[in-house]
This record gives sequence, structure tokens and C-alpha cells, in this order.
Amino acid sequence: MDVPALETEALGAIAAATTVDEVEEARLRYLGRKAELPQALRAVRDRETGMALNAVRQAIESALEERRGALERAELDRRLREERVDVTLPGEELHVGTLHPITQVRRAVEDAFLGLGYEVRDDREVETVAYNFDKLGFAPTHSARSPRDTFFFENGTVLRTETSPSQIHILEEQEPPIYMVSIGRVYRRDAITATRYPIFHQFEGLAVDKGLTLADLKGTLLHVMRQLYGPDRRVRFRTHYFPFTEPSIEPDVSCGICGGDGCRTCKFSGWIEMGGAGMVDPVVFENVGLDPEKWSGFAFGCGLERTAQLRHDIPDIRALWEGDLRVLRQF
Amino acid sequence: MKVPVSWLREYVPVEMPLAELATRLSVTSAEVEGVERRGVADDGGNLGLFRVGKVLEAAKHPNADRLQLCQVDLGTGEPSQIVCGAWNFGAGATVAVALPGAVLPNGLQLEVRKVRGEASNGMILAEDEVDLGQDHDGIMLLPEVEPGTPLADVLPLSETVLTVEATGNRPDLLSIYGLAREIAAIYDLELAAWPGTDPARAADEPVPVEIDDFAGCPRYIGRLFRDLTIGPSPVWLKARLLAAGMRPISNVVDVTNYVMLALGSPLHAFDWKTVASGKIVVRRARGGETIRTLDGVDRTLDPSDLLITDGERPLALAAIMGGEETEIGEGTTEVLLEAANFEPHGIFKTSERLRLRTEGSNRWEKGVDPHLAEQAARMATELIVDLAGASWVGESDVHAGLPERPVVRFRPERADAVTGIETAPAEQERILAKLGFERQGDDVLVPTWRARDVTREIDVVEEVARFRLEDVPFTLPYRRAMFGTLTREQALRRRVEDVLVGLGFHETYTPSLLPAGAEGAWSLPEPISVELTTLRTSLVPSLVEAARRNTDAGAERIALFEVARVYHEGADLPDEHRHVAGLVEGGFGRAKGVVEAIYAALKAELDLERAEDPRFHPGKTARTSAGLFGELHPALLDGEWGAFELDLALLFEAAGGPVAYEDVVSFPLVRQDIAVGVAEDVEAGALVAAAREAGGPELREARVFDVYRGEQLGEGRKSVAIRLAFQSSDRTLSDEDAAELRGKIVAALADQFGAELRA
Repeated sequence: MDVPALETEALGAIAAATTVDEVEEARLRYLGRKAELPQALRAVRDRETGMALNAVRQAIESALEERRGALERAELDRRLREERVDVTLPGEELHVGTLHPITQVRRAVEDAFLGLGYEVRDDREVETVAYNFDKLGFAPTHSARSPRDTFFFENGTVLRTETSPSQIHILEEQEPPIYMVSIGRVYRRDAITATRYPIFHQFEGLAVDKGLTLADLKGTLLHVMRQLYGPDRRVRFRTHYFPFTEPSIEPDVSCGICGGDGCRTCKFSGWIEMGGAGMVDPVVFENVGLDPEKWSGFAFGCGLERTAQLRHDIPDIRALWEGDLRVLRQF
Repeated sequence: MKVPVSWLREYVPVEMPLAELATRLSVTSAEVEGVERRGVADDGGNLGLFRVGKVLEAAKHPNADRLQLCQVDLGTGEPSQIVCGAWNFGAGATVAVALPGAVLPNGLQLEVRKVRGEASNGMILAEDEVDLGQDHDGIMLLPEVEPGTPLADVLPLSETVLTVEATGNRPDLLSIYGLAREIAAIYDLELAAWPGTDPARAADEPVPVEIDDFAGCPRYIGRLFRDLTIGPSPVWLKARLLAAGMRPISNVVDVTNYVMLALGSPLHAFDWKTVASGKIVVRRARGGETIRTLDGVDRTLDPSDLLITDGERPLALAAIMGGEETEIGEGTTEVLLEAANFEPHGIFKTSERLRLRTEGSNRWEKGVDPHLAEQAARMATELIVDLAGASWVGESDVHAGLPERPVVRFRPERADAVTGIETAPAEQERILAKLGFERQGDDVLVPTWRARDVTREIDVVEEVARFRLEDVPFTLPYRRAMFGTLTREQALRRRVEDVLVGLGFHETYTPSLLPAGAEGAWSLPEPISVELTTLRTSLVPSLVEAARRNTDAGAERIALFEVARVYHEGADLPDEHRHVAGLVEGGFGRAKGVVEAIYAALKAELDLERAEDPRFHPGKTARTSAGLFGELHPALLDGEWGAFELDLALLFEAAGGPVAYEDVVSFPLVRQDIAVGVAEDVEAGALVAAAREAGGPELREARVFDVYRGEQLGEGRKSVAIRLAFQSSDRTLSDEDAAELRGKIVAALADQFGAELRA
């Protein structure tokens, strides 16, 4: 028996098989009970010949296995191809909901400040005049104290007009250093229009420590504005006036629509007003029993609706309050 | 405030680009909200097309009775023919002419055209045609000037106006001179001396002034003028007032407004002949007293209102508006000029109560410097004498001592410590000096016009800081310890929100205030609308409204949730609680599935009992330790809706701590189902609870998966199928072990509920 010739012949036949049946035929022909090689194997008596023949048998077996596998897989693929579907048809309906854009902004604000090591809090919405105005240093003639600007209840309490009472609450509760951001609902007596709603949300930051400066306030606001609006934004500061900060400033962020060249969104100034800020006024420290020579701090406040409107280019603030699924599903 | 730039230039040399000036002022002093041009545009040589002309001939137009045909010398050698509709001039008049090609402020471009057959080479101008006044009764007559002179050399044809929004602490910036002072400090420019110098006084007549209430009126300067002529103001004055947004009225009234705008101290003028008593008494109103103000409205006064009276009758509502009786009119020849000072709080209250705000009250309520009255009186006197030909014949100045300049300790290093940037003490002193502060040893003397605003060292620091704002670097606080983490409640709130979003809910925000009549202890006595009156005690009604609107809009698969406060009665303040509520299409099962998912996500045990609540279906409502869920009461909204409202604090109390691992891998789980027949009123939850009790720790799962009712069970009975799973953490349970546990459970159910094992 010419073993190498037999091996060559068998491997050739296996390679030439085009169906699983032809592979089976080849198996019977070369490895079946009556085939030449198994018979030779049964008859062999010396180890050398036995090992050589066995190697050939293994080579043929593995070629058979491989060929059968390949043909079976090709056969399966052929059948599966006939089961093709229109992949552009919709999937099974599984509905996922949405977080309101204000919540998305709230989380972005929380995360920005958590990263700076701030704690997050919220305080009551109905406040005493002491916390909403007096302790924050509002002058007796300040227009915010007028029932024309602020919602008063019969017992003289108010719906808080800003998140700033949180400054007093935390300063009364904790020893500095304090780094906190307070986020929640606030109320002002404005008629409902496209740009104003009597209920809205603010975030209020407060840092009280030794040696804090206006430069730290500028750096913090730059970081936060870039977190909220994107890393290429510029921030500028204008002198302003608030009862509870001195010096007081208003931060502007460069307009994201026009990049600062001027457009309708920024009223052709290139800048968008973001809220109010400043160094904590000594009167606030005195009102909570802290020494303004020893402690310094900064505070800032900003509207969440405004941030959401700017992020998503929402022209009418009422869209945020109507619970309209056509609106909500976009977010 | 509207600020004409030409006016600013009288007090400070404004030569920088106005856009830059606007930015610097916004950053350092007060926001510039707009830079607007008014009058004749000066681009493309337009301004050069406005010239002075001398009328050589003027005669009736041959073809039109109402028109004049004029020959006008425009300095070109050849007279120009111009048709004109005005008749207040003749040959020899010096007039303002716009040449063909000129563009008027209203946008009209002139061209050579024929008017009733005669060529007209331009237009002889009336003041309203170039924004210099409101008069259109005739053309402007100019003093004699060389024909052909550019008109802009003679008249303020073109103006740029800044709109400046001063903050409430800076009444000094409600004046042109005050803004000029800021610009002088920003750009280190020379500020002109205070405008206004007293002319010679013609006589020394007494001007009797009494102040009853120095707290309300700390100062009253009265100056008397005789032999004056009321008439229109000159064009420059009218143009200034118009550019500043005020209406010119007559020379004397215009002067009071002009000086108010220039210096920030409002003035008033009375027709002295109408003041019968010949004296001024400043006092509080008497109950029931009335006055008819300049706007023609009769106003009933309150004893807290401050009045200018003649001793008996009210003449003016002090600081807010004059009275009609003493108004300056065409025939007025004697005038009492009031340059006073009023205390802000009372003025604010009166103006609020009467809902009457004026340019004057707006300044007084922010606090005007009493020292300023004197300069305002000087400036007005000079102008009244000059423009109305008046004789100034008397003066009195009544006050109970004027406030001293505040003295404030100021350490320049304190400014550095606050700003975080070094500013050399000499530079700090330069800035402060430009603003009118004076260094005195360790202290600074505050200028009188800043006395209300600058009383402490930090206020002086701000004066320096606002000039360095752009130079202050961006840094972050240096910290030795930082702890920034959400609290457990904040983290769990996010978890609840995310679970609901995953379940297909859309988060919504609705108003905290419900319509009048809604349940709730806290209602606004003066709401802005009945819709927003009462603080809510539940979020469900707001969600029902939102769902209704969505249904009306044709929305499908409505599933809404909100996380917000509710407000319960409380003592001095409401008890505020944060709730989560949801509303979803589907019934009780839907609501319960959602609540189970929330509890599962929080690793909280859901304990519940049957409940009733007016918002919910009376038979399909349950209470958990944190709130209610069930089917919405069908009377509230058509269809079947699942609803829930949970108190987040209570929900988080039920939330589990860190998970304790159980070995559920090493030994197999053995499943067994049972079905038992029980009476209809036996609740599935009770069966499961009993099964758990009887099965002990090796019963890992007991969940009802089917409830069946049928004839073979008999009336009033049902079959409840429960899936049981047993597992031990230390051995493989044999079939016998499982059978034994199952037997215990079946026995317990039979014992407690008369349950019959069916399978």
C-alpha cells in the first residue's frame, strides 16, 4: 500500500467534497470498516508502521471534520440568509422616559460643584422676612420687600424670592469653612410671559473660608460656566449691586449662538447675563455671628430655567411648565 | 437713563470709541444697555448736505396759494430755488436747509423735484424734521451766520445717546455729571468744574420757607424770580431734553428738568403769583386732604405723605409731582424755584401707595445728596436768568444742619486681600481721588454724593475693586480638605428619577400653586391669578391637569412624574415635604408595578394595606409607609389611570442599606407551586405572609402568580396559585426536605385561612 499516495488521494477527495453527503462518502471510502487504511491498521504488527498509519488516519479524520464543519456552517448561513428581515422595520416597542431639562441642568450644576468639593442642599420655600431679607442686609426701602414684587402670606411670611436664605441657614448651622450650592424653587410676582414665570429655579453658591478673594470667585464661575455651557466659553464680570455682597458683580458668558459677535439671542452684545455674584458682605457675617476680619467668602446665584433655555435654545419659558409630552419627549 | 454724548462731552473729553466706552462703563460703573444714534445720520457725507442758507427773495408760489417760492443763498455764488410751505419768514431770514441727496432722520431722501411746476432744490427745515424739537408750526430761524456754513456747526444735528442702567445704590449715576465723573476716573481724564455759577442777584427780597418735618425734608432752598417771560426753550436745550427722552415744555420747566438730568437733584418751579400767602411750608398731609396734581388727577392724601404747602393749601406732592394750581403757564411772570432735598423712605411709600412714579421720585427714593441742592439752584438760576430774562430777587436756604462727609478707615492692603490682585496704594488713591474721595491719614473722607452708599471699609474696597475687575485673575480657592458628595437622600432621589425614566415616565414640572379653593392651608391673600393661589398638599392634581392637556392634544402612552414639594399646615411656616408622584395610563396593576419597581430599586420592603382617599378609586387603593398608590378616581379623569404619590423622606427611611450577600449559587433552588382554595375576602398578601412565616429562612420566594374563580370552587371562593422556591445556603435540599417545607406552609394556610390544597 502506497500510504502517502493514499493520504494525498483522501485529502484531495475531502477537499473536493461540496456537500455534507459527499464528505460522508469520503469518510466511508477512506475510513469505513472495509476501507484500505483501517484494514491495514488492524493488520499492522510493528509500532513504526502503526504510528505512521495512525498519523495518516488522524490527518484524514481531522480533514473530514474540518470540511464537514465548513460545509455545515455554509449550509446554515445559506438557510439563515433566506430568513432575512427588513432591518429598517421598527424594533419591539420599549419606552424609555425623559428627565425634565431643568433636572438635567440641576444635575449638571450639582456635578460641577461636587467636583469642586461643594455640598448640595435645598431649604424651605416659604421663608420668614428675617431669612429672606433682613439677615441678608436688604435695606428697608428695597423694592423686593414690596408686595408688588414678592408673594406675602397673611402671617407675613413670604415665598422665598431667591435661594439666598440658604446662605443664612448654613452659616447658622455650620462652622466655616463652608462650600455649598443650594438649588431649588423661588418665587417672584411676575406676570406669566415668554420670558418670565412667577415660579422658577435658582442655584446659589456660597464659599466661606479664610483668605477667599474676588479672583477665587472669578475662577469658580469660569469653571462652572464652562461646565454648563462648554469649554470654549469666555466669562466677563460687570460691577453690580446686591444687598448681601460687596463688591457685587454680574457674570456674563459669551454668547453660544454667535460666539460673541452679536446676535438676537445676546441682543447684539456678544454676552449673556448669567445672574449675580459677589464677595459676602460683612453685614451677613455679623448677622450670623462671624468675624468678617477673620472669614471671607463669595456667593453667586443663577437661574436654572435660563440655563436650560440657553442650552436647548428654548424661546418660551412656559414650555418648561406645561407638562406637554410633545415638549418633554425631546429631552 | 438716556445720556446724550454731546452733553457728556461738556464735562469730560470723550474721545475714545463709544463701543469701548460702553463696555468700560458697563464693567466698572453702570450697565450701558444701548448705544443709539439719533438726528441726522453722518455717514456717506450726509451731514455735509445740511447747510445754513440766507433767504434772498420769498414770494407766493405762482401756482399754489399755500406755498412760498424762495431764492436761497447757500454760499455757492448762485442762489438756489426752494419751495417752502411755511410763512414765518421772509427775505433776509437765516434758515436751515437740506440739499438734494440729504437723508432726513425719518429716512426720507430729498431730490430735486418740481412742486406745482417750479423746481425745488432742497428743503427749508422745521425743527421736528431733524429731531431737534416737536415744533412744526414754522421753519427754524437761525441767528445770522455766513450762508453755506455746515448746519452741524450751528445746531446739534447729530447725536449719539447711551442708555445707562444705574444700580439702586448709585443715584449719583442718574446724572450726566455723575457719569462724566466715572468716565474721568476710568480714563484718567480731567473732569470739568460743576456746571452753574450764580449770576448777580438783583434784590434781597425775603422768601419765607418753613420746614415742619426735617426728617422728611432735610433742606429747602427757595429762590424767587420776577419779570420773566415764559416761552419756548432754545433749540440746543430742546434737543438735549429730547435726546434724553424728556418732552420740552417751556423755558423755566425745561431748565428744571435739564438741571435734574445734569446733576441728579430734581427741582420744581411754582408760579409765585398763585401762592397767595407768599410763603412755603413743608409739612405732612392732614387726613382727608386732597390735591390735584399736574396730571389732572385728584389725589387723596394720607398723613404720611409729605406736602409743599402755602401754609394752608397743598401746592405740591413733595418730591413726586407738582400741583395743577401753581403750574407754570404762558402768563407766568414770577417763579419760585424749589431746590430741596427729600428723605427716600417716605417718598418711596407715597409713590408706591399712589402708584405714581416720576423722574423726580425715582431719584429721591434712592437718596439724593442734600448738598447737591445748592449747586442745582445755582445752575438753574443762571439758566432762568439767561433764557427767561428773569431777575433773581431773593433766596432762602432752610435746613437743620447738613450731613458731614462720612469718615471711613481704609487700609489699601484690605483691597488687595479682597480682590486677590495687588493695586499699588498710589493707584488706589488716584482712583479714589478721581471719584471725590479724600485721603486723611488712615481714613478716607467720602464725597457727600456717595454718603449713603459708602459707609464702611468694604464699600471703599469696592470702589477700587470695580476699577480692577478685568485685571483680577481667575483662581480657585486653596483648600486643605474637600468633601463633595451627594447625601444619601440626594443620591436616592436620582435613583428614583432614573428608575421612573427607565420605566417610560416623562418628568414634568408643574406650579406649586393651585387654583383658589384647592385643598391647602397656605393661600396667597394677593395672588397674581386665581389659578396660582394655594400651595398644594399633593402633586396628583397637577399631574391630572397635565395628563388632561396631553389627552386633549392627542398624546398616547401618557406617563408623567414629578418630584416637588408639598406644603402642610405647620405652625408659623408650612411643613414642607418633598414628594414623588406619577400618573400613567393603565389601572391599579400598573401603579402597583411601578411602586414595586421603585421599592425594589431602593432595596426597600414594600408593606402595604388597603386605603381610601378621595383622589383614588375606593376599591383600588393601597397605602405604603411612604404614601398612596392605586387607580385614579375615575371622576378626576376619563379612562383607567394608575397613580402614586410617595413622600421621599419616608420612602428613603424604608430603603435598605448595603446589601448582605447570600449564597444562592452553591446549592440548587427547588421550585414548587401550590394552589389553594380560600374565601373571596382572603387577601393574597395575607397568604404570602403566612407562607413566609411557616416556610422560614429556606423559603426564598413566594409570589402569587394566578387567581382563579370558577363553578367548581363554589360561591364566594377563589383559588390562589403561589410559586414557592426553597433553598438552603449550607446543603442541597432533598425532595423530602422540600416536601416537608411545603407541607408546613399548606398546613399553616389551612389553619389560618381554611385553605384547601387544590394542587
